[in-house]
Amino acid sequence: MAMDKITFRRILKWGFLSFFRNGVVSAATVLVISLSIFMIGAVVVGSTFLSGIISSLEEKVDVSAYFKTSAPEARILSLKKDLEALPEVRAVKYISADEALLAFRERHAGDDAILQSLEVVGANPFSSSLEIKARDPSKYDAISKFLEKGSYGDILDADSSGQKKITYRQNQFVIDRLSSLLSTSRRIGFAVSLILAVIALMVAYSTVRLAIYNSRDEISVMQLVGASRAFIRGPFLVEGVIHGIIASFFTLVLLYPAFWLIGKKTSVLFGGINIFQYFVSNIFQIFFILLVAGVLLGVLSAYIAIRRYLKV
Amino acid sequence: MIYFDKVSKVYSPTSIALEDVSFTIAPNEFISIVGQSGAGKSTLLKLLLVEDWPTSGKVFFESNDVHAIPKEDLPLIRRRMGVVFQDYRLLPQKTAYENVAFALEAGGKEDDDIKHDVPQVLELVGLMDKAWHFPHELSGGEKQRVAIARAIVSRPDVVIADEPTGNLDPLNTLEIIRLLEKVNDLGTMVILATHDKEIINSLKRRVVTLEKGRLVRDEQRGRYVL
Repeated sequence: MAMDKITFRRILKWGFLSFFRNGVVSAATVLVISLSIFMIGAVVVGSTFLSGIISSLEEKVDVSAYFKTSAPEARILSLKKDLEALPEVRAVKYISADEALLAFRERHAGDDAILQSLEVVGANPFSSSLEIKARDPSKYDAISKFLEKGSYGDILDADSSGQKKITYRQNQFVIDRLSSLLSTSRRIGFAVSLILAVIALMVAYSTVRLAIYNSRDEISVMQLVGASRAFIRGPFLVEGVIHGIIASFFTLVLLYPAFWLIGKKTSVLFGGINIFQYFVSNIFQIFFILLVAGVLLGVLSAYIAIRRYLKV
Repeated sequence: MIYFDKVSKVYSPTSIALEDVSFTIAPNEFISIVGQSGAGKSTLLKLLLVEDWPTSGKVFFESNDVHAIPKEDLPLIRRRMGVVFQDYRLLPQKTAYENVAFALEAGGKEDDDIKHDVPQVLELVGLMDKAWHFPHELSGGEKQRVAIARAIVSRPDVVIADEPTGNLDPLNTLEIIRLLEKVNDLGTMVILATHDKEIINSLKRRVVTLEKGRLVRDEQRGRYVL
C-alpha cells in the first residue's frame, strides 16, 4: 500500500512523541544500543589497529643474503631478478659493498675508534648483500632454501663451518615464532570480534523487543480502532531510527576518552603507534559505521519485534 | 445490517463458547446481549470484530463475510465499527484528545476534519475541559467517555460495547448508558453486551439472551430473565 504524505507525517509525529513520552524506556533502549555499538566500534577500531600493527611488524622482518667479495655483480643482479620472479617474494633490495660501507660510516659517524679501525683494515671489509622481504613471514623458509639449494650457492658467502650467510638461518627461531604469533592473533582477533558483535546484537534486540512487548496491548487496540499495519508499525520504526542516531553520538562521546586512555597506556607497548591517533584521524568513518550500525540495530530490532504483535 | 449465521465456536469438546447462534441486527437497532459470565457474549463480539474465527458458521457485516476479508482490508471494515471495552483500552501515552483523534488519523482523515470533529465529540461526551489529560489522570467514568468518543468519532455504522459499565459505579453507569442511547438516537446501531440487570430493565429495548453458548431468548422490549 502506497503511503500518502499525511500518513507519513503522522507516523513521524507519533514516532517523535512516543520517543519523548516513553522517557525512561527510550533512555534505556538508547543506552543498550549504545553499549552494543560501543562494542562494535571498539572491535572495528581495535581490529583495524591490530592488523595495522601486525602488518608493520611483518614489514620489519626481512632476510639478507651475503655474497663472497669475489662474486661478480652481474650474477648477484641476475639472482635478484630470479628472486623477484618468485611468488613468495615481495621485494628485493641490492646493497653493494660500497653502499654497506657508506651506511656503516654514517651509522657510526661520531665514533672515532670504529672509524679508525676501518682505516686500519684498509680495504672494504663489507660484502655485498640482497635484502629480501617475503609476502608473509612463513615464506622465509622457502626463500632461504631456494638460495641455498639453487645454482647461486657458489657466490654466497659462508662461515667456517660451511653454513651459508643468510640471516634467516640465524634468526629462524624468532621469525617462525613471530609468524605463528601474528597469524594466531589475526584469527583470535576475528573470532573475538565476531562473538562480541553477535552478543551486542542479541542484547540490543532483546531490549527493543521488551519495550515493544510492553506496548502489545496498545498495538491490539490500534488494530481494533482500524489502524493499518504500516500506521501502527511506522512510529516504532521512527523511534528505532531516533534511538540509533542518539546512541551513535553517545557512543562516539564514550569512545573518545576510552581510546585516549588506552592509547596513553599502550603506545609504549606498540612501539610508539598510538590507537588514539588512529581513532582521531578516522573519526568520521568511525562515526559513520556507528551511525549505520545503530540505526540498523534500532530499526531492524523494532521491525522484527513488532511483527508478532500485529497478528489480529 | 449484521447477521450471525449458525455460528459456533468450540475451543475444545468440553469448552463450547457458542453453539449454532443465528440472529440479525437492523441498522438502527439498540440491541443488548445478556447472559452470565461465560455465556458467550464476549466471544460473539470478538467474532464480529475478527479478533477470533468461528469453528463453523458465518458472520456478515452488510454483505461481507467478515472472516473472508483479506487481512490487509480488515482496517477498512474496523473503521466502520466503534468499540468500547470494560477496561477502556485507551492508548496510555496519548491524551484524551489524541486518543479520539487517533481513530481519525488511522483512517487517513484530513487535519482540518480532525480539528473540527474531535472537539465536537468530546463536547458530546462532556469532556472538552479534560481534552489534554492523559488516561491515568482521568477517572473510570471519564476514561469510558473518552472511549465512547473514540468509538463514535469516525461515524461508524455500529458501536460495539462489551461490558462498558463493568468497572463503573451506578451514577457513571447511568451516564454511559444514556450516552449509548444518544448515539443510537443519532442513527447508529449499538450492540451492548452486559450482565447488569438494572440496565436491561431500564432500557426497554431488544434483548438477546445467551446461556451456555446457546441463544435462548430474543425479545423486543426485553427484560433480564435468568
